Amino acid sequence: MPPRYDAIVIGGGHNGLVHAAYLARAGRRVLVLERRARVGGAAVTEEIFPGFRFSVFSYVVSLLRPEIIRDLELPRHGLDILPLESTLTPLPNGDYLAMWSDHDQTRRELCRHSPRDAEAYDEFGQLMHHMAMAVKPILGMVPPDPTSLSPGDLLGLARLGKHFRSLGERHFHALCKLMTMSSADFLDEWFEFDGLKATKAASGIIGTFLGPRSPGTAYVLLHHYMGEIDGAFRAWGFAKGGTGAISEAIAAAARASGAEIRTDAPVARVRVRGGRATGVVLESGEEVQASVVVSGLDPRRTFLQLVEEHELPADFVADIRRYKFRGSSGKVNLALAELPNFTCLPGVGPHLRGAISISPSLDYVERAYDDAKYGAFSRRPYLDIVIPSMIDPGMAPPGKHVMSIFVQYAPYHVNGGWDDAKREAFGDAVVDTVAQYAPNIRSAILGRQVLTPADIERITGLTEGNIFQGELALHQLFFMRPTPAWAKYRTPVRGLYQCGAGTHPGGGIMGASGRLAALQVLKDGR
Amino acid sequence: MPDVVVVGAGLNGLVTAGYLAKAGRRVVVLEQRAAVGGTTVTEEIAPGFRCDIVQHDIGWLPPRIASDLGCTGVELVRGDPAVVTPLDDGRSLQLSPDTAKSVAAIRALSPSDAAKWPEFSERMSRLAGFLEGLYFGPPPQPLRSAPRDLLALLRLGRRFRGLGRTGMIDLLRVLPMAVAELLDDWFEADALKGTLAAGAVSGVLQGPRSGGTAFGLLHHLVGQGAFRCPASVRGGVGVLAHALAATARQHGAEIRTGAAVERITVKDGRAAGVVLASGEELAARTIVSAADPRRTLLGLVEPIHLDPDVALAVRHIRCRGPLAKVNLALDELPRLPPPGLTGHGVVSISPSLDYLEHAFDDAKHGAISRKPYCEIRVPSVLDPSLAPRGKHVMSVLVQYAPYHLRDGWTAAQREALGDAVVATLAEYAPNLPAAILHRQVLTPKDLEDGWGLTEGSLYHGELSLDQILFMRPVPGWSRYRTPLDGLYLCGPGAHPGGGIAGLAGRNAARTILKDTPRS
Repeated sequence: MPPRYDAIVIGGGHNGLVHAAYLARAGRRVLVLERRARVGGAAVTEEIFPGFRFSVFSYVVSLLRPEIIRDLELPRHGLDILPLESTLTPLPNGDYLAMWSDHDQTRRELCRHSPRDAEAYDEFGQLMHHMAMAVKPILGMVPPDPTSLSPGDLLGLARLGKHFRSLGERHFHALCKLMTMSSADFLDEWFEFDGLKATKAASGIIGTFLGPRSPGTAYVLLHHYMGEIDGAFRAWGFAKGGTGAISEAIAAAARASGAEIRTDAPVARVRVRGGRATGVVLESGEEVQASVVVSGLDPRRTFLQLVEEHELPADFVADIRRYKFRGSSGKVNLALAELPNFTCLPGVGPHLRGAISISPSLDYVERAYDDAKYGAFSRRPYLDIVIPSMIDPGMAPPGKHVMSIFVQYAPYHVNGGWDDAKREAFGDAVVDTVAQYAPNIRSAILGRQVLTPADIERITGLTEGNIFQGELALHQLFFMRPTPAWAKYRTPVRGLYQCGAGTHPGGGIMGASGRLAALQVLKDGR
Repeated sequence: MPDVVVVGAGLNGLVTAGYLAKAGRRVVVLEQRAAVGGTTVTEEIAPGFRCDIVQHDIGWLPPRIASDLGCTGVELVRGDPAVVTPLDDGRSLQLSPDTAKSVAAIRALSPSDAAKWPEFSERMSRLAGFLEGLYFGPPPQPLRSAPRDLLALLRLGRRFRGLGRTGMIDLLRVLPMAVAELLDDWFEADALKGTLAAGAVSGVLQGPRSGGTAFGLLHHLVGQGAFRCPASVRGGVGVLAHALAATARQHGAEIRTGAAVERITVKDGRAAGVVLASGEELAARTIVSAADPRRTLLGLVEPIHLDPDVALAVRHIRCRGPLAKVNLALDELPRLPPPGLTGHGVVSISPSLDYLEHAFDDAKHGAISRKPYCEIRVPSVLDPSLAPRGKHVMSVLVQYAPYHLRDGWTAAQREALGDAVVATLAEYAPNLPAAILHRQVLTPKDLEDGWGLTEGSLYHGELSLDQILFMRPVPGWSRYRTPLDGLYLCGPGAHPGGGIAGLAGRNAARTILKDTPRS
């Protein structure tokens, strides 16, 4: 009895959905199996409190690849991204630093703090633009294996070498510095104003378990510079209807091309016969056959839970065990009776339509890391706050608001483990930190949801609550993600593929892994 | 008129002078201090007490250098055990160049670590072997297209493949990694990980959990065996400096001490000579500076002669020295836990990764480490000539004492540093404080003032991933030449950096000889 599906995709996260959409567009019969009641994985919108809808986990988007938006015609399926208009950094002395989408406004604001920084800001922006262009092709390519002698790999390496040599000395050397320095040292070469450096450096540590002074954080700065919204090269934005709307749009595009998506369908095991993946067994016991099985889950869950160990080579299993997660961030979602009133810019204003970054100084962010380094959540955490209801009123009842707070650091391996008391203490530390800058926040809270890395793991399945399916560390990227020999979406089991953020190019709602994995499956002629 | 003036008579300056003089060039070496050796000197810290006052570990001296120059009469001494790490329970971990002995010592702490030690040392020393190949000669230039450069890149690619699959993957994974993560992957024993990590972060203002510090482990393994064995010289490291100076003189080089160079003169875009503090001028076709790149290009050369972009890049060279020295004249031998101070090895206060990380935390926020990492040597145990009968001299390399101390270095801060070190050592050798006859403390500021080291950086610039190979000292100028024709760099600020005695000097000399063939 021939299998009813050409491909089964385990996990309806955004990479799984993108993967399914591309296979379906190529005429393959695809079934997506999602454990939870809704698709999206960590990119979901949920009504936590009646009338208050939250981007529960990931909250802003910018790194959705433009070719994916085009190929899947996502705007036609409901995708509408509202640009993030500003970044406000309140400062302990009552002042603030505001970065606006309007260039001149930003220059004037920077001049207020440091005329030299205002001067350097333009040149810095141009350099980062060139760096993003230099790295961009790498996001869209299957990583060549530098240790292999196959013609395909040698050609890939030659093409990569030619690309880097074409950058010219200045940009090539700047890229080398970016790939090897700490964000603090890199920014120290450009700017003097601590609030500016800290806010930029903070974007270099999101999703990692490093501090801004640690080498290996400067290039993550670039990761977040890659954002492309309608051509505005560097801009973060909200999805109208919350981050879940992105997943719904991708799911709609997949269904429109013929893909089938089943929720509440947790998969227990990948069925392997004679070293080949032949289908999956659901927790309900139901079996579904397919000629290809693709996992959108993270590498540890895929290889140490869904596949029996004896089906995998020993050194591969050892490499997967060594692949680091170490979730380091948490989330606090607040239903608010009124807007927060920031003492540095009292009242309602355009500054509330963007991000509010609690990153007053490099030392502040580094000390937040120091706490986590020794197993505690940060007493004074770095916060990335957005109020989606300001530009997407549908997210909260009239006159009320929703606030999404990304928090770093909250280590998954907290001393003594996470429990309810520690979760509340963590939530209090976050609210206390906000209250330093917006004292009315406590009285405005109608409802509070606190998510620790343990909660993120329990709810979304992301191992150790790492939002990128594995630390974005240089030795876990490109041809080493997730392991050196297996970074081209194939796995040691024939017919089993991987397409999640635990593969190149990594996380941040890009969908690039899902697309590249699909191209590889199609190329393999399945 | 000399063909070449060498500024600075540290090991690299002396080696460069030796090679150039041996090749028949008229060489004058100008050293600001009263003695040759730079930071590799053995001097009296109190009547009758001689000590290696700055460097007490010369790292690795490539045998080829001594044989090329015909330098003899220097006995390198390595301890066995090479590193002794006291533990809190009175025992100590003794690491030896002999793998079998190390395995036995590690087994007492962790049988599984002991089982893995041979494979770990073999794989890491194979990677260090790959780096060693890169250190003899200027670094490959990824962007240049001259046949010579393409050939060098091809050779590099072939040598990389020569590592084999495991070796290739190890190298690509280890280079950007935090040394703590690498060691956690392999071992469990705190003292073993602490000791290996200490060697990796020595001289760098980073902690073991910072990215890119595993490179330090490999760098300090170059030329060595299973792990970094500190090496000293019988009679003190100064003996090596004097031997190299004597060799250079034999080849015809003139060496003048107490001759501080104030300025490098420039005539129509070329380095033309030097002006001494005394006002004397010395012209020469080639000037070679063994001073660090920032001091050379922004201190000795007037900035107007430099392209602004290069000057900015030079200013951005991170030095920020984290090391200080405490030298003690002792009335009696400090009673450290067994085996104590038996040989030429060092005693390392590096009980765990967290100990090092906490020490770094203090420095990261601009303070002296309350509990610093200390590397202790008492050479008088086997070299009685260094101290009066029955008495001893102790040399302590201390990390972290950040050059950029929050409130700046003062006499009081210098004493506070000395006190922190003595208090740390007293935990392991209670009789030490009472035995101190005299104490010398050299802070990074003292190293800057006394030896001209920018920000007290012994390696003339941090050895971090963005400041090695073709990026050292600055991108585009990594082959000992500088933007000024006729002016060269030959110190550890250039490739391959510090910890490898004289190699930068040798590479620079060979480049100079190629650039200035005998007319």
